[in-house]
Amino acid sequence: MALGRFLFKRVTQGVLVVWGVITVVFGLRFITPGSPINALAPLDATAETRQAIAAELGLNQPLHVQYGYYLLDLLRGDMGYSYIKGQEVAGLVLQRVPATVELAVAATVVAIALSIPLGVISATRRNEPVDYGATLFSLGGISTPNFWLGIMMILVLAVQFGIFHTSGRGVGFGDVLLSIVGSEPFLGTVLDWLRYITLPAIALGTYFTALVTRLTRSGMLDELGKGYVRAARAKGLPETLVRYKHALRNTLVPVVTVLGLQLGTLIGGAVITEAVFAWPGLGTLVIQSINVRDWPTLQGCLIIIGTSFVIVNLAVDLLYASLDPRVVYD
Amino acid sequence: MSSDQDSVTRRSYLKFAGIATATASIAGCGGTGDGGDGGDGTGNGGTDTPEATPTESTPSSMGVNVGVTMGNMDSGLDPQDHAETNTNIVVSQGYEGLMDRNPEGGIIEGLATEWERVEPGTVRFTLRDGVTFHNGDPLTPEDVAYSIRRIVFDDVGITSPQNTDLGTVSEVVPGDGEVTVHFDGLNPIAFQLFATNGEIMQQSWVEENSRDYINQNLNGTGPFQLENYESGTEVAFERYEDYWRGAAEVSGVTLNSSTESSTRVNRLLAEESDIVTNVPPQEVSRVENSDVASISAVPSTRIIFLQMRYDVEPFSSQSFRQAMNYAVDVESIIENILSGFGSITGQPTLDAFVGHNPDIEPYPHDPAEAERLVEESGHAGAEITLQTPIGRYLADVEIAQAAASQIDSLSNVTCEVQQRDFASLVQDLTTGNIEDKPHFNLLGWGNGEFDASQTITPLLTTGAALTVLENDTVDQYMEDAANEADPEAREEILQEANAFLNDLAPWVFMHQQFSVYGVSNRIDWEPRADEMIDPYRASPN
Repeated sequence: MALGRFLFKRVTQGVLVVWGVITVVFGLRFITPGSPINALAPLDATAETRQAIAAELGLNQPLHVQYGYYLLDLLRGDMGYSYIKGQEVAGLVLQRVPATVELAVAATVVAIALSIPLGVISATRRNEPVDYGATLFSLGGISTPNFWLGIMMILVLAVQFGIFHTSGRGVGFGDVLLSIVGSEPFLGTVLDWLRYITLPAIALGTYFTALVTRLTRSGMLDELGKGYVRAARAKGLPETLVRYKHALRNTLVPVVTVLGLQLGTLIGGAVITEAVFAWPGLGTLVIQSINVRDWPTLQGCLIIIGTSFVIVNLAVDLLYASLDPRVVYD
Repeated sequence: MSSDQDSVTRRSYLKFAGIATATASIAGCGGTGDGGDGGDGTGNGGTDTPEATPTESTPSSMGVNVGVTMGNMDSGLDPQDHAETNTNIVVSQGYEGLMDRNPEGGIIEGLATEWERVEPGTVRFTLRDGVTFHNGDPLTPEDVAYSIRRIVFDDVGITSPQNTDLGTVSEVVPGDGEVTVHFDGLNPIAFQLFATNGEIMQQSWVEENSRDYINQNLNGTGPFQLENYESGTEVAFERYEDYWRGAAEVSGVTLNSSTESSTRVNRLLAEESDIVTNVPPQEVSRVENSDVASISAVPSTRIIFLQMRYDVEPFSSQSFRQAMNYAVDVESIIENILSGFGSITGQPTLDAFVGHNPDIEPYPHDPAEAERLVEESGHAGAEITLQTPIGRYLADVEIAQAAASQIDSLSNVTCEVQQRDFASLVQDLTTGNIEDKPHFNLLGWGNGEFDASQTITPLLTTGAALTVLENDTVDQYMEDAANEADPEAREEILQEANAFLNDLAPWVFMHQQFSVYGVSNRIDWEPRADEMIDPYRASPN
């Protein structure tokens, strides 16, 4: 029951957060200079043409009327039509979600796969060359702009050596799954998918790798100095077990918190990485929508992003309990 | 997805066959600069014939899919529900108009084989026989009439942004293999307008489908039919075998985009794309030094200028405005910022457009004369601010900074730059009230009709949408041009207007922007003056 109440409370909070975002964006229409009409009509369009387009889009109605209609449509599951593309917003936004989630998860996997072992090794071999190397890597990763790293990787690994694709998302993870049952060769599809996803995932994941490495290292150092670790060692437990089952587990609570927040951020849009790799994600759509003042599409994106934040953070909260039995929901 | 996989397959094939990058380099820098005459405006049509076109597919070309990477994707596939270049490039693969333009901008046949002016305000188009839409249905006069009406009249379906160009159409009447169009007034540039606007759609297809569907699907008469549409990501076309000009030599075209110029160039150099748009000057050498692609550039229809509002000091003084023209070293800007990809101007109308005055020389760079004119204007010590959009035009901010710096170097004027988000700047420029507009700003203008009136009227006549000038003489010139049926007399009027405007100096006349493309050595393709991309004319090397 406690878990049920907790979930209900968090979902309600999430709905309120998304509603708040929608309301704020609606308000911003009034104070943001620019109009979607300027992206639709030629610069020399007559006042009559502009007025006709405004009427067609419903922009001539008072803001509270537009707001009311929008909320009503939203309750019916209708996000409306893009001012610019004339297409249903739901379709436009949902088309981008797989690419966004795929890149965010891939970058997170890169971060976890590299950072946690590196952090543990760095902590257990403190002040040894491997620790200095890991520290150097972390500082480098945190201070290197990901767009520069992305461009350099493209130049060397894609243009020069042709190992990876320079950009785009020619093959998605969905295609990999389909190849299991379809006629496409599975291995070939996986390899082609890796040629698209690897560079953007590394470019995006490097910063988080560095961050989580530092976090894991400091957490491990803290835990390894505690009494329960000394007791475990005194009992004669293998060092691997002491490090990975006991110390690392207690280190993971802050690590998971950071990873969860970062995953939410990535779903919100890795705009620069998406631009460098021409990755068709939500971040690019958000920027495009802002540039042409396509408010319905922007709001559709923000609903998805806000919902993702809520879901990821809820998942992180639920994960706490499995990592630390002392955590209770109320 | 399919296109990228095709590209991998093609690349792998070429690699293993040992013939990759073995083809010769194609066109180098520079174009002819000949924008064509844009038609005579009255035209006994049908005298121009369609350009030499591909007809038979050869075995070597069967698998060549031309990849095009632009700066941005389309804003939907409805050809009548937009008015911007990237969408035009995409929809022009599948849709066509009654008339067309050759790469130099001259008028050629499209879906009409002949056109004539039957009365001062009435023109008639004779339709081509045997044209079919991609769904196999024949083109009818009713489809043509419906398409024009859909652009012009709100009650037919949409409020088309193209209404601005074809808005003077008052009625469209389908006949037996022909369509008659009536205008409010003479409209001496009717054929120039139809050569640039008015893509033809099938009436029944439009009426049966939703706006959402029409924006994601395509049923035209053009050389390529839609294969796959991923909104904002990629559009794939395949060759339309029954195209009336003959099937394209290439098997298809795939268009995608990257806002990042280095990414576009990387795609070209990695042989993932065959044509990339807007290669910035700093990337040109990287392409030219590669052995897989080269640069191909052509003067575009876009003019860049600095608008000065005639009604506010110090720009209310003609001497001061002329001084600004003498102060800015446009040749230096073209050479140093645009790496030579530009052409200096001295009038609103570009070279080879109808109405261009060949006797006008651009203002020379003469700071001493500029300082003298500033003194003469009585505005010595003036402090001015140049507003510029960010990233809208090629190197716009750098150009504005250079121009402002050159003005600022005058001993009696101070000038600084204010960078603005384009959407915000446009909001001020298009309010319809001259008093809301910036005093001094950089702007670019594309004129797809190749006619002086399509620049001067919207930008320099009283009450026009983007004007910074209210001058009776200019207004009279344009009114006379609008009512002159004789093409030669009309051109003379427009040339006089250009000479007058050069002296009046409502702008700092800057340059004609070039379209700079990176083109793979795998294909033979020449760029067009009107910023469109036509893989139909591409052939494998």
